[in-house]
Amino acid sequence: MYGVGVLKGLWVTIKHYWGTYLWDVLAYLRREKLLPRGIAPAGTAKRLEPRLEGLFTVQYPEERYRMFDRFRGPLVQLRDPETGGPRCTACGMCERACPHGVIFGIEGEGKGKEKRATQYHYDVGRCIFCRLCVEACPFDAIELSREYELGSYERNFVWDLEKLLSMGDKSGIQHAGDHW
Amino acid sequence: MEFINNIFTNLMDWLGNWLLTFLPYWLMRLIIDFIVIVAILGFAVVAVLFLTWMERKVVARIADRIGPNRWGPFGLFQPFADAIKMLIKEDIVPAKADRWLFNLAPVVIMIPALLIYAVIPFGDGMYATDLNIGILYMVALGSITMLAMLMAGWSSDNKYALLGAFRSVAQLVSYEVPMVLVIVSVVMLTGSLSMVKIVENQNIPYILLMPVAFVVYLCCAAAEVGRSPFDLLEADSEIVAGYFIEYSGMKFAMFFLAEYINLFAVSAICTTLFLGGWKGPILPPYIWFLIKCFAVIFVLMWFRGTWPRFRIDQMLDFAWKVLVPLALLNIFVVGVVTKVVTNEWIWLAVMLPLNVVIAIAALSLLGQAQQRRVVEAREIAARGWPQRT
Repeated sequence: MYGVGVLKGLWVTIKHYWGTYLWDVLAYLRREKLLPRGIAPAGTAKRLEPRLEGLFTVQYPEERYRMFDRFRGPLVQLRDPETGGPRCTACGMCERACPHGVIFGIEGEGKGKEKRATQYHYDVGRCIFCRLCVEACPFDAIELSREYELGSYERNFVWDLEKLLSMGDKSGIQHAGDHW
Repeated sequence: MEFINNIFTNLMDWLGNWLLTFLPYWLMRLIIDFIVIVAILGFAVVAVLFLTWMERKVVARIADRIGPNRWGPFGLFQPFADAIKMLIKEDIVPAKADRWLFNLAPVVIMIPALLIYAVIPFGDGMYATDLNIGILYMVALGSITMLAMLMAGWSSDNKYALLGAFRSVAQLVSYEVPMVLVIVSVVMLTGSLSMVKIVENQNIPYILLMPVAFVVYLCCAAAEVGRSPFDLLEADSEIVAGYFIEYSGMKFAMFFLAEYINLFAVSAICTTLFLGGWKGPILPPYIWFLIKCFAVIFVLMWFRGTWPRFRIDQMLDFAWKVLVPLALLNIFVVGVVTKVVTNEWIWLAVMLPLNVVIAIAALSLLGQAQQRRVVEAREIAARGWPQRT
């Protein structure tokens, strides 16, 4: 460790130091389209690779990580692709399965197989993201999304059916239980 | 060219002459000295703010990441954000702490750090005062810092703070010795303790004459300031901030700033002693001084980003068993060569190879000692650890 080893260590770090400036230049050239893709680490997915070279800082508000597929975010309602309405039939299985009482106030309209939900309430503030409701749903109508930016300025933690459907559209989830 | 080189000295002369037309001499001197002091202290504090930014960026780049880049272009306003944060923190004094000492320690650590700037020549004729015991003054100020550390550690009424203070003082005292020995060899080459004369006499920068002394001084400087790899005293994973564990808010900011002020001062001294101060071909002298100073600071930050920490016994080992013999050997070589050879340039031809030989010998001895330790450890492991009977 004494002797030449310390000098070799210094050489390694100074190579890293100058290397970051080189990566900066390459990223700039790539942004200005002067260089073909695949040379500088672009996109957040590339930066999660284990053998990455170059700067791995993700500049947060401008670039965001997309969470992995089985990530448990807040609940969303999925749409029926034919009718465009909710798949949920207001059967109440999720309400019964939830250990916390986070899902409440479920109402539906229609008879038999045509019954669809009209009211549905979900309290994001008290959800523990255990996914028991999704497992209980017989119609694959709900799923946990991959949203992680949940901070808000007001205490509006109870989401109704409209919000859940719009969050579902935003999350891009096609089917419940895709990755499990 | 001459005008730009001497712009500050000319400015002060002109101002002095103008003031002399309507003020008595003593008042003019008072005002001029006051302006010089304010300028130097202002420069020191601004340089230190810039240093905190530079440290975060350099250490980040070494680790393949970008440092702060949100506040201001390239994150240049980050130190102001840090300063505001420290100003608005609550100032907590432990109930059983010794209030006088507790409040006095940050002051006592800040003042010697700032006082060092009085003797450093920033350029040709740009110094606050030309003490003819300049170097001795600086070493003495380094010792006052130890007093402040003990005050901080004792008055916190916290045994870990006290332990940290003990270790700090042990480290600082051990590393003062090789530092003073290296300074002695520089003074032997110059013939004067005054920093201004040391720079003036360096037609060949002393780093070329005594590179081993430069390396020893760099290690001692890093240890005096308490930087990695010698930062056992204040590393969060070791002793949670050591002797200033109980400080918060502005008092902590004082310790923090004092460390960086010491860092800049110590690099400025290294530049003056070894790299030739403000001497350089084309650019104005103060620009050369700043370039050299920041080069030394970059090297110290490079050390911080590269090496793991020493343990306290390894640190003291290194000081007493490696640096002190090297410094003494250096004094011996300098003494013999300056008496035997009279021409400066022949000094270079003689001392540089001698230093290289000393460096190689030292490194090989250290390597052999390490090998012996490794072999010994393996034997002990093979034999089985001592059993309790």
